[in-house]
Amino acid sequence: MLSFLRPFAILASVSILLASNASAQSTTSPTGDAVLIVTGAVDQTPTVFDLEMLMALDATVIETTTIWTEGDQVFQGVALNVLLDALGVTEGTLLAKAINDYTVEIPVSDAVPGGPIIAYKLNDATMSVRDKGPLWVVYPYDSSPEYRSEVIYSRSIWQLDRIEVVE
Amino acid sequence: MKTSRHTGQWIRRAYIVLAVLAFLSGILFLAVSVVQDLRRLESARSDNVQWTLSQSEVEFLEFSKQLNATEPGSAADLAMVRQRFDVFYSRIATLETASVYRTLLGNEDYSQALASVRRFLDTTVPFIDADDPALNAALPTILENTDLTRAAVRRLANSSLNSFAASADQRRSEFAQTLVKLAVAVILLFLALGLTVYNLRRLNKQKTRQQKATAETAARMDTIIQTSLDGVIVANEEGRILAFNAAAENIFGHAAKDVIGKSLGPLIVPDHMIEAHDAGMARMKAGGEKRVVGQGRVQLEAKHSNGNLFPVELAIQSAETEQGKIFIAFLRDISMRVAAEKALIEARDQALAADRLKSEFLTIMSHEIRTPLNGLLGNLSLLQDTKLNAQQLRYINNMETSGDLLRQHVTDVLDLSRYDVGHSEMREVPMNLAPFVQSIVDSQSGMAAKNNTTIEWDWLGSPHNWVLCDPDALQHVLMNLVGNAVKFTRDGSVSITLETENATDEQADFIFSVGDTGMGIADELKARIFDDFVTGSVAYDRNVGGTGLGLGIVRRSVSAMGGQISVESKPQAGSTFEVRLRLKKTDPVVHERPKPKAPLAVASLRVLIVEDNEINCAVAREMLRSQGHTTAEVHDGAAAVASAQDQVFDLILMDISMPVMDGRSATRKIRNGNGPNARTPIVALTANAMAKEQAAFLADGMNGVLVKPLSRTALQDVIQDLVADVEAPEGNAVENAHQNEMREVLGATAYGKLRDGFISEVEKLHSWLRIDDLRDLPDLAARCHKIAGSAAVFGAAHYREALIAVENAANSGQVESVKSTLGALEPVWTETKANL
Repeated sequence: MLSFLRPFAILASVSILLASNASAQSTTSPTGDAVLIVTGAVDQTPTVFDLEMLMALDATVIETTTIWTEGDQVFQGVALNVLLDALGVTEGTLLAKAINDYTVEIPVSDAVPGGPIIAYKLNDATMSVRDKGPLWVVYPYDSSPEYRSEVIYSRSIWQLDRIEVVE
Repeated sequence: MKTSRHTGQWIRRAYIVLAVLAFLSGILFLAVSVVQDLRRLESARSDNVQWTLSQSEVEFLEFSKQLNATEPGSAADLAMVRQRFDVFYSRIATLETASVYRTLLGNEDYSQALASVRRFLDTTVPFIDADDPALNAALPTILENTDLTRAAVRRLANSSLNSFAASADQRRSEFAQTLVKLAVAVILLFLALGLTVYNLRRLNKQKTRQQKATAETAARMDTIIQTSLDGVIVANEEGRILAFNAAAENIFGHAAKDVIGKSLGPLIVPDHMIEAHDAGMARMKAGGEKRVVGQGRVQLEAKHSNGNLFPVELAIQSAETEQGKIFIAFLRDISMRVAAEKALIEARDQALAADRLKSEFLTIMSHEIRTPLNGLLGNLSLLQDTKLNAQQLRYINNMETSGDLLRQHVTDVLDLSRYDVGHSEMREVPMNLAPFVQSIVDSQSGMAAKNNTTIEWDWLGSPHNWVLCDPDALQHVLMNLVGNAVKFTRDGSVSITLETENATDEQADFIFSVGDTGMGIADELKARIFDDFVTGSVAYDRNVGGTGLGLGIVRRSVSAMGGQISVESKPQAGSTFEVRLRLKKTDPVVHERPKPKAPLAVASLRVLIVEDNEINCAVAREMLRSQGHTTAEVHDGAAAVASAQDQVFDLILMDISMPVMDGRSATRKIRNGNGPNARTPIVALTANAMAKEQAAFLADGMNGVLVKPLSRTALQDVIQDLVADVEAPEGNAVENAHQNEMREVLGATAYGKLRDGFISEVEKLHSWLRIDDLRDLPDLAARCHKIAGSAAVFGAAHYREALIAVENAANSGQVESVKSTLGALEPVWTETKANL
């Protein structure tokens, strides 16, 4: 019964979030330094996020090891599916770009609950550029072997500052 | 065998399964490693290390380019410198901390390069983190340091290339190896599977063939069983009938369809045997003893459907089948056979009974005839001593001849029936063949001389004189054969030869051959000459002929002694009878010196006659009285014991079967009592001449046996042997009476011829003795014995005695006494020869 109801519950919560975000976006604009600019096939072009705006979205915490760090790391950020929901993106591919113009393609299908997040905090501290910040796309590598492939590693772009949504 | 074949199949199957499992697990293992290898190739835990390293160089170059492009004082350019530095910094920090790059630190070039890059970063960070003017001022220094560091960054990117390439190569070749192994394993698995398929196919074929063969065998067996003339019944362990063939239907009167599946017992086992049958089945089921199954042919009773019982012969075997143990019985109705056997046995029993009855009748009749005959002959003998005229004497002589013949016939019939009833028992006593044969020759020499026939005997080959044998039986046989030979030979010769064959230290086959030059035996008679009641068809005088039982008895005697008898003959040329006996050899036994048998003067004796038969008693009395003895008579054993207690006797003649007390008990009483006759010689009077019984009489204490009918000579011999003081004979060395009798019987010419032969025989002996060195004593004894026999014929008693003395000395093996006795021989002969 419960399992049967779960999709409806999630659907309900998402629709609530959508409603609130839509109202936040329509009323809120970046006040601090822009950390992320989303362009392409989105409702509002371009959408500019500062750190506060990202932090205002529902946060997700991933505790995992990575091949680039040593020991367990606690990443906090906004789940990619949450962000894309907020942006109204349901399909296509994301071209994620770093500050040095390094670009990777992330399919929208990657954005699932329990999937990747755009992390803004590592071990409870915001990340400097030297620490691969301020934004880092992190997958929950430890949760599944699926997330330990070369493709996933290549999509784990750090020093992220732009996303272009393409069809 | 079946089980071991099963086991073998199981083991083979287990091996195949194990092999397939092993291959499968090998392939599984290899497949897993292939998957792992693939995953390793596909999932880059390593990230794209080479890209990262070259990226670090790119980022360094971008930083360097930004430095060069920076307008002094441009805030935007400085920000870009900071950003490019930070990006490069983060890349180097990643190389330092990330686990995937740690392994590279082992490469010295790489670690040195990384260390110098780190120094550059540490040197530069303070400038970057300073404010714009300070950074602006430091730009030339940074640029300079950057140029100095470029080589290190370049080295960082390149140094690891080789080791990465090597490890990539290794991974590839490992993967290739794994693939090869996998391929090999797959091929092997295919082979194994192929082999298994082949094997299974073969097994299947085999099984099909076996099934076919089994089916064929079953069909054949079924046909055999159905067509078998014997009844065949197959039952299981519960006794339920599984098969019942046509012959069984016929035998038992049950239809197979009615009895299949039913219990065997109540159907065919007779009611009185049901319990035993059930017990037997239960016993077998419990693994106990099998009394009928597997025991071959067994004869039992069976029950027909109509309730009749009949005998069957059956054989049952058990066999193991998949349905458990089964029993197969083959049965045959043997009612007819049993009936026939029964009839045969009855017929045989009747025949045997009749035969036995006949023999018994003969025995009884012979006895009954002989007793009065004895009386008749005894009285005839007494009558001869009375005063008679010549005619009466001739009649009496004729009567005596006929009486003797009649008695001989009765004795023959008695002997015959005795052998047939099985009363013949053979003794084994040591005996010397030489004097034995000689005595037979002696006894027949008179008759032979009458027929103008010479009679002689000798050994062929080396002599074996001492044997274990029954002298009575052997004497009967030889006497009969020699007597026949003499009887049927006129103007010829009879020769007896002894020979041994197959001699060992213990025994030998002794061949006694009696040959004559007489009338011979016709071929048609030869075949049945040893049958009963066979007589020659031609009898040229009254004395030839008889009951025809003689050779029949001889044959019985010989076979009772375990020997064989045969005959060779040519009509008008002569016959040779051959008796072949296997006898044990024995050492010489020294006999007491036999007393001379010549009639000698004996003192008058007092004799007690114990005899219940009036006539026999009278005969004995008259014979004794005529010889000058006195007699007393009693008629039973008890009276004899009483008499012996009162009076002294010199001799007691004791009948054996008597009323009140028999002769044997009386003898024992007299011997054991302290009466005056405890040492008196006692002689048995018996019609029963069985050797065994005679021995028993002697054991009772008797001194001798006289066989009825009593003869004057036998009585005289006994008296001389046992009682008389032997006195040296007076007068002539040759008894003239005897000599004259001979001369009368033979006629002067024949007598002269025989006498000359005797003299030359003796002379030959004497000349031989002069050169003999006394080495072969038995031979010496035999020669002396032979001539002693001849001497007796001529009444040369002295010379005969001298010869017997030598013979006895030689038989005893004492050379000294042989020498002394030989010394007496010459003088006696000289005297004898003068009187012949």
